[in-house]
Amino acid sequence: MTARDTILDALRRNRPDPGSHPLPPPATLGDLDAGRERFVASLRLLGGDVMERAAGEPLAAAIARHFPAARMICAAVPGVDGAIPVQDLPDARAADPVDVAVVRAAFGIAETGSIFLSEAQLHLNALAHLAQHLVVLLDPAQLTANLHTAYRRPEFRTARYGVLMSGPSATADIQGVLIRGAQGVRSLSVCFDPS
Amino acid sequence: MKDKRIDHAGAAAAFIADAPHLAFHDERLWDMRQKRDAQMHLLPEWQELRTLASQIKEHALANLPEYLEQFEENATRNGIRVHWARDGAEHNRIVAEILQARGATTLIKSKSMVTEECDMRPYLAARGITVTETDLGERIQQLDDQLPSHIVVPAVHKLTGDVARVFATHYGTDPKADDPRQLAEAQRQAARPVILHADAGMTGANFAVAETGTFVVCTNEGNADLSATVPGVHIATLGIERLVPRLSDLGVFVRLLSRSALGSPITQYTTHFRGPQDGGEMHVILVDNGRSARLGMADFWTSLKCIRCGACMNTCPVYRRSGGLSYGAVYSGPIGAIIDPTFNERKYSTLPFASTLNGSCTNVCPVRINIHDQLYKWRRVLVDHHQMPFVKREIMHMAGKLMGQPRLYRAAISGTETALGTLPRFALYNWLNPWGRHRELPHPVKETFHAWYRRNRSAPGAADTEKTKTDPTKTGRTKDTGQ
Repeated sequence: MTARDTILDALRRNRPDPGSHPLPPPATLGDLDAGRERFVASLRLLGGDVMERAAGEPLAAAIARHFPAARMICAAVPGVDGAIPVQDLPDARAADPVDVAVVRAAFGIAETGSIFLSEAQLHLNALAHLAQHLVVLLDPAQLTANLHTAYRRPEFRTARYGVLMSGPSATADIQGVLIRGAQGVRSLSVCFDPS
Repeated sequence: MKDKRIDHAGAAAAFIADAPHLAFHDERLWDMRQKRDAQMHLLPEWQELRTLASQIKEHALANLPEYLEQFEENATRNGIRVHWARDGAEHNRIVAEILQARGATTLIKSKSMVTEECDMRPYLAARGITVTETDLGERIQQLDDQLPSHIVVPAVHKLTGDVARVFATHYGTDPKADDPRQLAEAQRQAARPVILHADAGMTGANFAVAETGTFVVCTNEGNADLSATVPGVHIATLGIERLVPRLSDLGVFVRLLSRSALGSPITQYTTHFRGPQDGGEMHVILVDNGRSARLGMADFWTSLKCIRCGACMNTCPVYRRSGGLSYGAVYSGPIGAIIDPTFNERKYSTLPFASTLNGSCTNVCPVRINIHDQLYKWRRVLVDHHQMPFVKREIMHMAGKLMGQPRLYRAAISGTETALGTLPRFALYNWLNPWGRHRELPHPVKETFHAWYRRNRSAPGAADTEKTKTDPTKTGRTKDTGQ
């Protein structure tokens, strides 16, 4: 008998009565505020920043202002002057020297300050993790209230790789000291930008 | 079944003897518990979420064969290769075959308790495959050749100086440089080239969704996403109990997981894998390793609801003061103490006794596992199966006899009082009296209550137990108390 059949057989033999354990209907609980203020407060709690832009300031100028030491900027969105288009990177390793990656999130979650990225936004999934810093464009109209409402988004049914990033990478594995910027991006800045 | 019993009490005594480590460990874990409480108080729907999480998990477990088939069908349709492993040996063989077929000799991986269960690293090492843990805590434990001491924070029992020592040995850093920031940076710098040049990547999974064939990985450091997206091959190992029916169920579990674990509203990364990335390949290994048998244990199957948040460990006074390594098992703390005996009843027979049965684990569990009830029930099973150490077994046996026979009991009590009052310490405090190892025996009294009662209420027929004798409905223990 194959491993698959052995396991499934044992489960069928041993399981509790399915009739006694009905599935509750899908839940939508908690605060349903999908506002920008709630999103920003949550984002900051998880160590993320908001990148403000002066009126009429080009994106590239705002990035240069925020990251004066950055040498290599890679964009997965059009219109960032001087940035290397992600399409020009031949493979994941080529993203290693990237100082700042610029991407557009599909949506954000007010409850947790999370932003959603998939291959549709990134083109090269590793870009969001090998880059030192991440700048995320987010349309405030694409904010959803909480995780219950977020999982109704169609992206979860189409993306092969879909990450909710909530602030930058972090660790508290050494004596409980919280360190932002562990192995993934050292900072995550959201720039509100209607698409 | 000849494995030696884990000496939890002995290992805990050694841990307690080290005051700085004990103090930090206790405070750090209690801090995590308090942060979890703060998050709980922010959500009025918290208890409802716990109830839903419990119901969804129980439903999924009762329908696991169907949901596994549904998951397999959807994942396969999305381009994922699904493998099944009956046990750790089969799992390790599958991993080695995938790697060898692709000529892969380096594997980077994020934290996975299932691969610890399977003891995968030595198996692959013997076949020329270098496995590098990329989670900071897990990497520290790998370099120090220790099991993770906590399922969420694997190196929580170490202080910065311990990490500096490990990194100095293996990364060549300054052993005196013990600033956590510098140490974390040393890990980043050491891991990056390994990640960039690895042949394959491996992750665990927190949840698998039957409806879509998705599996979800919740992490904080970014190492899991690096491990999954930089190499061309991604292998994910998951226990078959990770299944949930629907995408919408993730809303319930993701809201509970990190809040219960670390007291943060969500992990920094919550990653949904539904298929291989362009040009890559993706494998999922569904591991049983005792789970299907556990599902048939009427008193213990609900331990399979566990989402591995570690809240029960953080709140447990015994765990906080004994350290995860004292459990001598992959899973430590209260949840470990009810899971581990299913892997090896004799070896882990001491663990269900490493509890005060205060019930705190049950109260914080986000999926409402009755952990302390199961701890108690395991004790009964272990006694029935004769898995008690000799001294404890004989003492309990003697105590049972004594308490079942009041006349004998009174004679013994009277004798004990005499003994307590007259015997030297070495006769009272020795290996036959483990209870007295950390405690003083009670002071002897001049007169027992029973003797006092007889002297002062000595009307004929009014002895202490006569009333209970005539009214057996008052107590279920009439037989025990009657003369």
